[in-house]
Amino acid sequence: MDTLREIFAPDFLLRNSLYISVLIGVACPLVGVFLVLRRLVFMGVALPQISSTGVAVSLSIPMWFGILQPEHAASIEHALAFTGSIVFSLAAVLTLAFLERRGRGSPEGRLGTAYAVATAISILLLSKNRYAEVGWLDLLKGEIITVSTFDLTLTAFVLGLVLAVLGLFQKELLLVSFDRAMAITLGKNVVFWDVLLYLLIGLTVSMAVLSVGPLVAFGFLLIPALIAHSFARNMRQFAFIASAIGGASAVIGFWIAYRWDYPVGPTDVALLGVGYAIGICAVKTRNLLGHRKKALVS
Amino acid sequence: MNDSFITLDNLAIGYGNVPVFSNISLSIARGSFTAILGSNGSGKSTLLKTLLGIQPPLAGHIHFPKSNDDSAVFGYVPQTIQFDPLYLLTGFDVALMGVYQRIGPGRFVSKAERTFVYECLRATDAEKFSTKQFSDLSGGQKQRVLIARALAVKSNVLVLDEPTAGVDAAATHSLMEFISQIHEERKLTILLVTHDLPLVRKHVQQIIWLHQGKLLTGTVAELLTPERMAEIFEMEMN
Repeated sequence: MDTLREIFAPDFLLRNSLYISVLIGVACPLVGVFLVLRRLVFMGVALPQISSTGVAVSLSIPMWFGILQPEHAASIEHALAFTGSIVFSLAAVLTLAFLERRGRGSPEGRLGTAYAVATAISILLLSKNRYAEVGWLDLLKGEIITVSTFDLTLTAFVLGLVLAVLGLFQKELLLVSFDRAMAITLGKNVVFWDVLLYLLIGLTVSMAVLSVGPLVAFGFLLIPALIAHSFARNMRQFAFIASAIGGASAVIGFWIAYRWDYPVGPTDVALLGVGYAIGICAVKTRNLLGHRKKALVS
Repeated sequence: MNDSFITLDNLAIGYGNVPVFSNISLSIARGSFTAILGSNGSGKSTLLKTLLGIQPPLAGHIHFPKSNDDSAVFGYVPQTIQFDPLYLLTGFDVALMGVYQRIGPGRFVSKAERTFVYECLRATDAEKFSTKQFSDLSGGQKQRVLIARALAVKSNVLVLDEPTAGVDAAATHSLMEFISQIHEERKLTILLVTHDLPLVRKHVQQIIWLHQGKLLTGTVAELLTPERMAEIFEMEMN
């Protein structure tokens, strides 16, 4: 309890890290709901990795060309990382969505290749850029320690915007996802709504990767939504439960990591994994009890 | 019954640049009950999708009435198998989608529209499925919810793509009786894709038969005679 009281104190040194974890924990699952519904789970794996490759590329290229010296990099590295992450995420999500719409080839194959190539490029860039090595390793490991107030504000603003747009246009996004043909007969511009949804996914992934790294971004995007799907009875419950699981895991994960000195990101994801296992057991038990009850009644 | 409502003029349908069927010229009368028949892959569903604007025509034109008061408003009832059970939508949620055309982006559905959707569910005897998960409903029950959704559009043309596929005999009978009933009561123009000839014989007035790149149109009495049927099946066998 003392640790909990400590981390919630207003003068807690790592409060920005806690706030950003909770922000990501609450917001990512709401976008993840659409990834699960559209059966784009692999995209949820590949996109954070591609986004982090964007960070690596955007930081490396200016140094290779001598535009930026390592000793001056710190002042603009966030702007570069933000740009790289956003550009790569949006380009990847729109390209993958376009290829999916064409309906040719294997989507899993494309996403798997994109994931593997993005990971390889990140590692190759890491190996040739000693300046960035430490920071990137922290990002890849999900170390959420140094979060500036500016980063926190920017993340809160972008994720707030994403959630506002998702909330405002949820009926259009749901209709286009559930029954595309019906949406066309109702005169909806399905390409516009698809692009909007993919932009929201890309923005969320970029912010999450910049804040907590690709591993944690993936964990919060998909695992809460997968757990929530087993218990929710309607779409509103689905979104609410997923978001609540994400937020609660972020707080509990941060508390465990701080109390026992673990890295925050992997702790959050491991906790979500435990939650997923408990969820599966609970569903199996519920189904078993349901069958027995039916057998008794009949 | 004889005034032309939808006219297809030298229409070519298909995917990409590959035509499935060409030179389709026909008229669909206002208030008619028309079945689109043909073997698998003959282009029935493609024709339906082209009419609905889901698939662009490769060539030719589709003419609708020009007056706004008289325009064709489609209510589409797709095959139930296409819906992903991952979506946690109730029967009411699905039927509610029918009113989305009248509600601008970012606006909430009014109480009056919700009440109207309940009325549509009641009209299709699907009110009892409104709180149930759509994915848990049987084929026939899903069809009733989807017809309620099509009515919620305030459509005057009901387009049904194999509504009795995967539905048991009793439910098929009940569903087709119901479709005939709303056709009569609401003076709807109905387009029905099906393989079920006994149902066509019992409920339908007009037939569009697509086979082997040839188009036959006529009434049930004209096309479903033993001689014409033998001729058509012989052509399909060949």
